[in-house]
Amino acid sequence: MHLLSFALCLAAFAALALATERQQHDLFGRPLPQAATHLLRIAGTGVMLLVLGVLLDWQGWGLGLVMFSGHTSLAAGVVFCAAIGLASARRRGKPAAISPASRRV
Amino acid sequence: MTTDNVKRERAQRPAGRGIRQSMSGLHIWAGLLMGWILYAMFLTGTVSYFKDELSQWMRPELAHQAELPDPALVAQRVADELGAIAPGSPQWSMRLPDGRTNSVYAFWRMAPGEAGAAPGRRAFGEAAFDPTTGGKVTARETLGGDFFYRFHFQFHYMPVLWGRWIAGAAAMFMLVAIVSGVITHKKIFIDFFTFRGGKGQRSWLDAHNALSVFGLPFHAMITYTGLVTLMALYMPWGERTAITTPAERQQLTAELNAFIQPGKPGGQTAPLASVADMVRQAQERWGQDAVGRVTATNSGDSTARVAVARGEAGRVSMSPQYMLFDGPTGRLLETREGVGAAAETRGVLYALHLGRFGDTVTRWLYFLVSLMGTAMVGTGLVMWTVKRRQKLSDPERPHIGFRIVERLNIASIAGLSVAMTAFLWGNRLLPAGMADRGAWEIHLFFAVWALTLAHAVLRPARTAWIEQLWAAAALLALLPVLNAVTTDRPLWHSVAEADWVFAGMDLMCLSLAALHAVLALRTARHRPKPRAVPAKARGGVIGGALEEGRS
Amino acid sequence: MMSLVGPVRRAAPVASRIVAALFGGYALAALGSVAALALPMSKPQAVLTGMLASFAIYAAAVVWVFAARSALRAWAGLLAAAAPLLLAAWSVW
Repeated sequence: MHLLSFALCLAAFAALALATERQQHDLFGRPLPQAATHLLRIAGTGVMLLVLGVLLDWQGWGLGLVMFSGHTSLAAGVVFCAAIGLASARRRGKPAAISPASRRV
Repeated sequence: MTTDNVKRERAQRPAGRGIRQSMSGLHIWAGLLMGWILYAMFLTGTVSYFKDELSQWMRPELAHQAELPDPALVAQRVADELGAIAPGSPQWSMRLPDGRTNSVYAFWRMAPGEAGAAPGRRAFGEAAFDPTTGGKVTARETLGGDFFYRFHFQFHYMPVLWGRWIAGAAAMFMLVAIVSGVITHKKIFIDFFTFRGGKGQRSWLDAHNALSVFGLPFHAMITYTGLVTLMALYMPWGERTAITTPAERQQLTAELNAFIQPGKPGGQTAPLASVADMVRQAQERWGQDAVGRVTATNSGDSTARVAVARGEAGRVSMSPQYMLFDGPTGRLLETREGVGAAAETRGVLYALHLGRFGDTVTRWLYFLVSLMGTAMVGTGLVMWTVKRRQKLSDPERPHIGFRIVERLNIASIAGLSVAMTAFLWGNRLLPAGMADRGAWEIHLFFAVWALTLAHAVLRPARTAWIEQLWAAAALLALLPVLNAVTTDRPLWHSVAEADWVFAGMDLMCLSLAALHAVLALRTARHRPKPRAVPAKARGGVIGGALEEGRS
Repeated sequence: MMSLVGPVRRAAPVASRIVAALFGGYALAALGSVAALALPMSKPQAVLTGMLASFAIYAAAVVWVFAARSALRAWAGLLAAAAPLLLAAWSVW
């Protein structure tokens, strides 16, 4: 149950991350269409609420909320690190490309 | 006059832009002034989530327990032993073993007039007992994981009250830093997944922000609940005003813990009834593994009482739940399972801080998010020097404030890792029969920490960082080797026996060694950008500064 | 002697705020913890409620002190918050 919850949180945060302009630039080089961004946000939030429900049902309010908080914090961190890793791998692969990131400094 | 104009201007900032900046300033100062203490509190606190496992690892003579012994029998054995070694003690208390401990920790108050209670020290004795025999454990004398735990909220080499006050002050600064940090960074969700790698100051800011934001529920909770655990010390005024009689005091205490006040001993000896039976009754009520603590007052006397308290696992509250028995007869006198609303709130908050209620996964979540919090404090401290270095008029000769922060950072962050690992090395290397062995492990910790401070002062800053990080990596990586050489519980043995406490420790050391090595490599690879053009002429810096002011 | 006046004048508001935050904030929180005794609940619960809430009061006071537009306003705000608490505390003294 813990594993399932964590995996779902990872997926949820990945969706939310992809819904940000920043990550879309870094990964795809261009922003995604509005509809796709909306869908990603809704899906990400929905899955997180699903996880909350699952944990509350499994362990009750006290333990459930604590576990939810822990899973989301950790999953956010993992997705964040993955995004950094992917972005820097892409930058290394294309040394000549000017990513929007460096232009904003 | 110009001074008046400047004063008026500074005194009346436009509200909108002002609050973000004032909160930013507050955040930086609150964080910096207590940062080194907070880092140490955070790291030792993080490690304390596994203090029982650490204590097991530090007493390798005690065999790994594949099965939990029957709590009722254990309680009886230790009760008998305590009756023998502390007869006439007004109060003793034992913590029953659970899946994470393989010894019974007990303490007892010395009988009045008993020799051995040095003036100024608490008049109680403590020891660890073997659950299978009831006798004191024959393992090396060590404070175990409890050293980091106690250091976390009362430090060392000082009266515990001073330590707790310092910890409380630090926690208050942390709370202010969190609130001001949130107000400053109002664009939290927009910037949620932003990270600008390899960009010096911006990278540190983004890392600090990420660690802070992702763990925000935890950091806010752990800080506030930390204050709550010692709130009676920090804010005694309500209690002093309202609680004036002993009866009222007892009423309040009963809301907080399961301690029963020893009454006056009657003078007639009466052996304690079967403690095992009392524990069994509690097990029937709460569950096989749900009994946590057995406390007895005036044991051996006709007025003896025994309280069997519920354990902490599985319930998010530390509010007392216990069954009170008459000592000589074993008759159940009272079952206490509810407290008032405010007391229950306090119980929940206390439990949230200690995190003892969770299963293994939840404990690991606590540990990892707490580690994020530690890194949050560390990145904040380092970021201060990175930012200030840009503004130095002469980078070769920074002012004294900068130098102090820079060197303290090295010793408080990298140096602490070295010192904590040295503590574990001491546990394996100090001779078993050495007098005051437990105290010397602790002296070693502080001696090494002091050495890292000296090293940080004497070496060039960047070199000091790299050398200390590598030292920590090396000590951590070699600890499993040291363990294999000095005990008969090497890693392959522990894995084969499914002894996950020992195996886990070894693996954790290797993981942390890798982490420190990565940090050392990144520090070595990082070259601060050369300042070819004076700051004023570079529009980029001003632009950057404005952008930073906005965020 | 004259050269000290300028720097002291500039530092005074900040120093004043620091005092207000550290000591005024604590005093306000302590006052709040006593004022809680006026709440309609049993004494032990009121005592605990006061303690639990005190740190939030302290933190809020510190944030206020540094967010206020002037040091004077900072102190004024603390006193304004203290007045009702003082009243409540007085009633249960």
